[in-house]
Amino acid sequence: MVEEKKEYWRWTEGLYLNKDIDWRKAKSITLGVDIGSVSTQAVVLTDGKIYCFASIRTGSDSPDSARKAVESALKQTDLKQENIHYTVGTGYGRVNIPFANKTVTEIACHARGANYMGGPTIRTILDMGGQDCKAIQCDERGKVVQFLMNDKCAAGTGRGMEVIANLMAVPITDIGRLSFEIDKEPPPVSSTCVVFAKTEAIGLMREGWTKNQVLAAYCSAMAHRVVTLLQRVGVNKDFTITGGIAKNIGVTRRILNELKVDMVQLQPDPQIAGGVGASLFAADLLEKQRKAAG
Amino acid sequence: MVLKEKLVMDRFAEVVKNRHDYAREWKQRTGGRVMGYFCTYMPEEILIAAGMMPVRILGSHEPQDVTERHIYSMFCPFCRDCLAQGLKGRFEYLDGIGMAHTCLHIRQAYSSWVLHVPTKQNFSYYISMPAKPQSPRARPFLIKELEAFKKAVEEWIGRPVTNKDLDKGIEVMNTNRRLMRQIYELRKADKPLVTGTECMQMVCASQCMDKEEHNKLLAEFIKNELPKRTGRDAGTRLMIIGSEDDDTEFLAMAESLGATVVADDHCTGSRYFWNEAPKSEDRIAAIADRYIAKVPCPEKDWEERRRWTHISKLVDEYKVQGALMIQQKFCDPHEFDIPPLMKMLKEKKNVPSLFLEFDVTVPVGQFRTRVEAFLETMQLEM
Ligand code: SF4
Repeated sequence: MVEEKKEYWRWTEGLYLNKDIDWRKAKSITLGVDIGSVSTQAVVLTDGKIYCFASIRTGSDSPDSARKAVESALKQTDLKQENIHYTVGTGYGRVNIPFANKTVTEIACHARGANYMGGPTIRTILDMGGQDCKAIQCDERGKVVQFLMNDKCAAGTGRGMEVIANLMAVPITDIGRLSFEIDKEPPPVSSTCVVFAKTEAIGLMREGWTKNQVLAAYCSAMAHRVVTLLQRVGVNKDFTITGGIAKNIGVTRRILNELKVDMVQLQPDPQIAGGVGASLFAADLLEKQRKAAG
Repeated sequence: MVLKEKLVMDRFAEVVKNRHDYAREWKQRTGGRVMGYFCTYMPEEILIAAGMMPVRILGSHEPQDVTERHIYSMFCPFCRDCLAQGLKGRFEYLDGIGMAHTCLHIRQAYSSWVLHVPTKQNFSYYISMPAKPQSPRARPFLIKELEAFKKAVEEWIGRPVTNKDLDKGIEVMNTNRRLMRQIYELRKADKPLVTGTECMQMVCASQCMDKEEHNKLLAEFIKNELPKRTGRDAGTRLMIIGSEDDDTEFLAMAESLGATVVADDHCTGSRYFWNEAPKSEDRIAAIADRYIAKVPCPEKDWEERRRWTHISKLVDEYKVQGALMIQQKFCDPHEFDIPPLMKMLKEKKNVPSLFLEFDVTVPVGQFRTRVEAFLETMQLEM
């Protein structure tokens, strides 16, 4: 019997278009492309406003993922890539975007994007990316003041969450909700190491834990890991979370509980913060270029 | 090694890369002894006076699995990498091995070396360098230690080390220090004439080659090559501070991002050569004075933080804008110093710093993002 291979890790790719905007009237059309290890975003801003974006899964090849993301974003409109005035690449694949005019790190871009979407009161940003976590402090303009990065282990990252989804055979988008459908919060699992997660989860199930309890334990262990990272930089208000995990309430709510703070929910999508930031930097650079040209 | 046609800085890089071939050739050519040592408190003056070539034990930045049985993996990666070189037989040409005490991590590497890595002439020596050079009792203690060391060396080589020999040892070392400082001076310029990567290669070369030859090359560089240099746009002026670090690949990466490393406080940098031995009738006392007054390793910088004064001076003189704090994972002495040092730099000097934790191999890609993001906090106009 061939078992149906379900892709529990598969998260929803995103598309957005602001139909109220006529890109032809825009003086500045800029593109930000954020190639992360798990997802890639392409965000187009017209005169500093979000016009359209796409968020897709990163393939094995960065230039290809960048092209695909841009294609998906532009497919929604008659705007063509040649109409774009300036492109900034960011994310770990930033150096592999053939059509980018410049690159800026994802740290600067996430802060800038969070500041744009969440407002100038944002001071602390937690970026929970595909394979690393960053705690960032910024000023009222969204300029980075300080940051800390954990890229040594997959715990608390998107990739880690994908592994858990597959392991527990639970669709990744349901994990957050299910992790709260429990009688009482279980003690956090001892290791958040995704390599050991399998044996540990099986052990817990044997001890009689329910699936939801195991999910809860993982979510809180992941939350705890990033909380220590955040505490090292210091958490000033307002606080927000960017990246894919920002959509997983199983982790975010537990982070907020442990830190005893609220968070600003970024609209329209916390996963595009890096791309928005890159697009904003592109707008700055475009202006500079135009000024220099007279 | 055919080095003659190359430019001096390239020759330094070449020697560092092929240090073992260099040492073997040196032995063949001169018939002299090569003595390996750990850390930078070894009084090389005495070894040079005895006609030897001292070489510092450094790691190779390759993953290895030979030290696990000898040193716990919670010891710093540098000391494990050093020991690995011995266990793998890379230093098989050494005639003797020694160390002047710095920290327990490296002493563990030294002790394991003595136990498990044979040297050609089976000579080993441990100098009990005081842990607190600031104490007034450190100097007389070290003088006695160095006298005993000299005696052991004399017994080993079978002849006395005379005052004339010691004068030569001191002269060679002091010349080396003077010339390297002269080259460091070039980094003060708005358009530095040497890069941080070149300086690190230069200091590492000094630690693994014949000092007189190194001196000749330095003089040649100053006389013939320097006048032809034009300097580079400094970009952001960085300083590197921290535990042992001889990772030129990392440095070259940082310097490719619109920055120049214009100063350092490292044992493969300024800490190695900054001060000279004073003139004195009592040569051993002069040598002891040099190591007592040396820019200290944090292991020996207590209670007054004398190294911080040195760092502050460098920040001013070299117009440093940002600091990279490089910490070997588990390096206790630096771990203890770095947080308040970062605070001091920020508050007193308005110099932000980026903390980086090094392991045997350095993930250049991940570090690149950090360094770039750090530079952006100073460079990006918004
Ligand atoms: S001072 Fe630090 S880097 Fe040097 S040997 Fe000791 S622990 Fe290692």
